[in-house]
Amino acid sequence: MTGAALARPKFRITSGFLIRLFIGIVVLLYVGWRLYNVLVVEQVYGLDSWARFAISGVILGAVYAVIALGYTLVYGILFMINFAHGDVMMLGAFAGYFTLETLNGSGFLNRNLVSSVVSIVAAFAVGMVVSTVLAILLERIAYRPLRRAPRLVPLISAIGASLFLQNVAQLVFGPARHTYANPEVMKRNIGWSLMLGDGEVLITYTGVFTFVLSVLLMIGLYVLVQRTKMGTAMRAVAEDKEAAALMGVDVDRTIGNTFAISGALAGAAGVMWGLHMGIVYHFVGFVPGLKAFVAAVLGGIGNIPGAMLGGLALGIMEALGPAALGIPFQLKDVLAFSILVLVLVFRPTGLLGEVLAEKRA
Amino acid sequence: MNLRSSIRAGFLSGFINLFVVLLGLTTLLGGLIQGWFDLSSGVAGAWFLILGIAFWGGTAAARSVIDKRWSSISSSGLFAGVAHGFIMGTSVMGLRGLVDHGVEVRKWLVQLTPSAVDALSVGSTPFVCGVIMFAIIAGASIAGALISFAAEKYEWGASVRGFFSSARDRMMAWPTTQRISSHERFQPALIGISIVLLLLAPLGLGRYWNYTLGTVGIYVILGLGLNIVVGYAGLLDLGYVAFFAIGAYTVALLTAPMPHAIEMSFWPVVIIGVVIAAISGVLLGIPVLRMRGDYLAIVTLAFGEIIRILSRSEVLADFAGGPRGIRAVAGPRLFGLNLSSGMHFMYLIFLGIVLVVFITNRLKHSRVGRAWAAMREDEDVAEAMGIHTLRYKLLAFAIGAAFAGLSGVIFASRNKFTGPEDFTLMVSINVLCLVIIGGMGSTPGVIAGALVLKGLPEILRELDDYRMLVFGALLVLMMIVRPEGIWPSARRKMELHEELGHHSD
Repeated sequence: MTGAALARPKFRITSGFLIRLFIGIVVLLYVGWRLYNVLVVEQVYGLDSWARFAISGVILGAVYAVIALGYTLVYGILFMINFAHGDVMMLGAFAGYFTLETLNGSGFLNRNLVSSVVSIVAAFAVGMVVSTVLAILLERIAYRPLRRAPRLVPLISAIGASLFLQNVAQLVFGPARHTYANPEVMKRNIGWSLMLGDGEVLITYTGVFTFVLSVLLMIGLYVLVQRTKMGTAMRAVAEDKEAAALMGVDVDRTIGNTFAISGALAGAAGVMWGLHMGIVYHFVGFVPGLKAFVAAVLGGIGNIPGAMLGGLALGIMEALGPAALGIPFQLKDVLAFSILVLVLVFRPTGLLGEVLAEKRA
Repeated sequence: MNLRSSIRAGFLSGFINLFVVLLGLTTLLGGLIQGWFDLSSGVAGAWFLILGIAFWGGTAAARSVIDKRWSSISSSGLFAGVAHGFIMGTSVMGLRGLVDHGVEVRKWLVQLTPSAVDALSVGSTPFVCGVIMFAIIAGASIAGALISFAAEKYEWGASVRGFFSSARDRMMAWPTTQRISSHERFQPALIGISIVLLLLAPLGLGRYWNYTLGTVGIYVILGLGLNIVVGYAGLLDLGYVAFFAIGAYTVALLTAPMPHAIEMSFWPVVIIGVVIAAISGVLLGIPVLRMRGDYLAIVTLAFGEIIRILSRSEVLADFAGGPRGIRAVAGPRLFGLNLSSGMHFMYLIFLGIVLVVFITNRLKHSRVGRAWAAMREDEDVAEAMGIHTLRYKLLAFAIGAAFAGLSGVIFASRNKFTGPEDFTLMVSINVLCLVIIGGMGSTPGVIAGALVLKGLPEILRELDDYRMLVFGALLVLMMIVRPEGIWPSARRKMELHEELGHHSD
């Protein structure tokens, strides 16, 4: 699409342009009308409510961003949507859950501050290791044999893998919702409290922890991809597999590494999700996985800072959007998916996306 | 090398065995066998599966052995058995120990009920249980290695196969068989007989079977519609359920007394439902069909979810019934007769399938069908050849949506009810599975797929929990082993195998 746009010397009114114009005007008018209604006419929410929405949006967005990084990495290198990524995250969350449960059962979790910190580190370590192993296995079993097949084939395989992992989790761990055992120092309902307007706003420790950790993970990933030999190999394979192979890059191993890194990120995201949201069950990875994909597309898929930006933007829009537009909160998923459609209609390369050739986009 | 590959086979099969136990398949099979053979407990059935997997592990180990001698085969079976037995033995020991200490294992691993753990543990103490499990599995593995080797060496397999094939040859050689099957009217007669049987079948099937087969038929229509989108035009649509929902809601809103009291009769609504579904297909298609491949999958998935969430939400509760759905949807009436029993719907579904198959076939062999084939194989080349790809994609989307709308109308009218929970993502995934497993682009494949994937679980209710698990595994497996499906169309098979050879993307 963009390739054609570059080649076209002068502006012409096409049917596609008219459709986009029409959709754009309708959306802008709707959003403007609702915003005016909510912010000026009705004024339902005070400053404290807006702050609460914004904070929860930033934290949610940070988790989306970490999941989106995994999507972006794999898409950047294989041009394939790793549909099972959200389920890898879910199993990472379960691994963290079992670690914390075990430590809680032995009383280690709340013995003192050090043991609590060690427990959380252990939960992250176990979650990340499990997800990494899972992602590597997934690539080996479900994707590697299909690398030269038409693009529909690995995508269907990925959908199958996602379905399989979800149902395995449901059958093995049961359909019930499990509650994460946070240590006392990081309970989900404690934190710093702020007075804003005439209300109190709570900034939870888990929320701050989630946000800081996700930023650290993104920086780490950026350094890994830009500064290390492994990252260079990954970028080379993303650019051109054959040429990279001729330059002595082990393509199979590099792709395996990419999946391992994306799995580790998914595991970290899963444990973050569990610590902050508190609940894990077999379906917990699916919707966040989809949202993270939306975030990755919003930021420009294949682009690491883009995934972070897209995740935060999506989280904030999702948290503020229903309130700002005056629609019920149960429609926040509709909002996220509408954002996806709008991004793909107006700017398929995303916010920070590079101009991809049409074959890739 | 012998040692390493054998131990690897042992560990692999051991993990599979443990996995199967954790999934509860062992207990399930135990229960089934107990029911079939009227046994007093399910233990025998449970062990049957465990030993079967150990046996298989032994044969896998034997297959990897290079120097085919009795001694090396038995040692490889032993190594595999030791590895396999180690995994299972320690697991059983640990489980038994935990349960004896009063830990509730099933709180975390729901399939490991106390009775399931009891079935696995033979012996008094955890240690003895583990050792016995280890010994039994090692034995089964060695037996597997030796028996598979003997079968290969003495060609047992060949003689078994020979027995069956010679039986078939003998039967085919009977003069009557030959005369009948070589007669020029054989095939038309066969088709005629099956049509007559199909037409008579609903009369004698009874409520349950008409209902079950009716569901299969509705999925056949859905599958044939998605087949046009995925199989012919090569567009992956994961939100196909949206059009099904649109058809169902159209008939519900226009005929039911509750939200709007329009109460139209059924027959015009069929047309309206199909047309509205087709129009919504075009409306969705215009913005999204410009994207390629995998983006389309996600956007359509999102669209399906949007439709479901909207139909469930309070915003549209006054208009579309909200989470409680719409009751008292009208059934078809003809000449004053009420035609809404399961049997009548069976005929209606037949009619729908025949219509859809007819349209599909005409389209496939027309200019449109060839354009779709060209587009699916290479979009750029198709465009260069003068095919307006967007227009043909839209057409495929609209026709697929129309079929889904038709089946949605029949579905809601048959159930006399429609609600948001009928239209989850799983419906889209189910339809996609039956199209892909049956064979993309193949009408008989889709029908076979619907019968197997929708009909079998209805009959084997016990296996229902495992249905989606098996679908997921099957999707991956099919893509690796046989991407063209069980009953492929000739062209699709050719395409996929050619592309697998030299496709760089």
